[in-house]
Amino acid sequence: MLDASIDIKKQICPFLAPKLRAIIEHLPYELLAKTEEIRLRFSRPLLICWAGGESYLGEDGPVAGPGEAYLLSGEDLRQTIELISSYSLYACEDEIRQGYLTIPGGHRVGLAGRVVLEKGTIKVIRDINSCNIRIARQVTGAGERVFPFLIDRRLGRIFHSLIISPPQGGKTTLLRDLARIISDGIGVLGQRGQKVGIVDERSEIAGCYRGVPQLDVGLRTDVLDACPKAEGIMLMLRSLSPQVIITDEIGREEDARAIEEAVHAGVTIIASAHGSSLEDIMHRPILRELLEKNYFERLVFLSNKRGPGTLEMIIEGERGLPLYSANTGGEL
Amino acid sequence: MKLVGAALIIFTAYLMGCQVCALYQRRVRYLEEIIMGLELFRAEVNYGLTPLPQAFQNIGKKFKNPVGSLFVDFSLSLLQGKGLSALECWRAVLEKRSSELALKDEQMEILERLGSTWGQGDKDGQRKQISLIQELLKHALEGARNERQKNDKLWKYLGLLGGVTVVLFLI
Repeated sequence: MLDASIDIKKQICPFLAPKLRAIIEHLPYELLAKTEEIRLRFSRPLLICWAGGESYLGEDGPVAGPGEAYLLSGEDLRQTIELISSYSLYACEDEIRQGYLTIPGGHRVGLAGRVVLEKGTIKVIRDINSCNIRIARQVTGAGERVFPFLIDRRLGRIFHSLIISPPQGGKTTLLRDLARIISDGIGVLGQRGQKVGIVDERSEIAGCYRGVPQLDVGLRTDVLDACPKAEGIMLMLRSLSPQVIITDEIGREEDARAIEEAVHAGVTIIASAHGSSLEDIMHRPILRELLEKNYFERLVFLSNKRGPGTLEMIIEGERGLPLYSANTGGEL
Repeated sequence: MKLVGAALIIFTAYLMGCQVCALYQRRVRYLEEIIMGLELFRAEVNYGLTPLPQAFQNIGKKFKNPVGSLFVDFSLSLLQGKGLSALECWRAVLEKRSSELALKDEQMEILERLGSTWGQGDKDGQRKQISLIQELLKHALEGARNERQKNDKLWKYLGLLGGVTVVLFLI
């Protein structure tokens, strides 16, 4: 269920330029409750988006076409960026280099503009002309359906799992909820809370604002925010003694080495990867290697066929036996 | 009795002269403090961790009023969340504190110019802008020091002489 309690008026509006703030504040509740993105582009119409729809906004609310919509001025964008960065672009350089800023509540603001390079890598984004405010909504309960498939009841441990889905398929949401469930523990399944470590390279899982998780990731969870995955996993192993490590979008060589290290250290790994089928994954050398070595005991496939986070299939890693399939209507 | 009255008049006139001198001294002190505050802010920019409002809250606490309260007021108005730009907040705060600061118009102008630099640009840009304003302020400070030196004795003597003149008239 979407958590409609996210109050855009309280959490997002303080970061908008006064004119935009006035427009968004006067939108009807139903519209705000489903809004997922607010798009600000220089001298183009103000737009809000949700799953499967969008609406242009004029000064008095939603309008039919781009002609009547409110066009963003440079001043609107400048003020918004100033507020989002807390008047301190100098303090957010690392985040801007990644292309986004995070605001309290874990909401992410994607940025586009002119990129300044230094030695071939992005130094900073200047003249920001486009901003996408993505509203982070925690989907509490997203992992409850999947979780029972991930527990080894015999040994009382959690399987190494890989979550696979195309973009916007709900991977991160599922990872976040699994972190919460594993960390808090579920009494019904006889599962006590375990120590969870999240290596959150893009600050998406826990939505950290200045290092503090803004979304519920559980009571026994430690979050390494904005930390490269491979280094983060090693750091976790060395000093935070996690029982489960959660990270997203693996695919680089060093990620694979770190995962090997964790698996051999007896720590459960739950990770995600882009892809829509097993074939997709097998085409990527690093993921293929990890699968061939049978590191992952459970593969969970998601899609956005019936909205983000549609559970398609769960298969057992070693022999590829399906445990759940949406096509046959459930558990096998 | 006459003698006591005359002494009182001369003393008061001298004190008035001193009051004017104190103004020049205060100007120098305020400018020194503002330059120092900016230096602290530049260090914050270097580490790149503390956002502007928090940085000025900390810096403001290190100085006496009115410079301390100028910085603290600035940070508070940024944190109010009314959606004002840093420039607008800075201007409002400067205006509120201008009578206490008692700076000359050209010195105030330099401070006003600071407003358009807050939070603009990346680390390097911000550092450069602060350095530039610091240079201008140092120049102004130099002028203020010279003025203080020039006027210090002048006003004290003027006070004294003024007092004596009044006394001579009265006698």
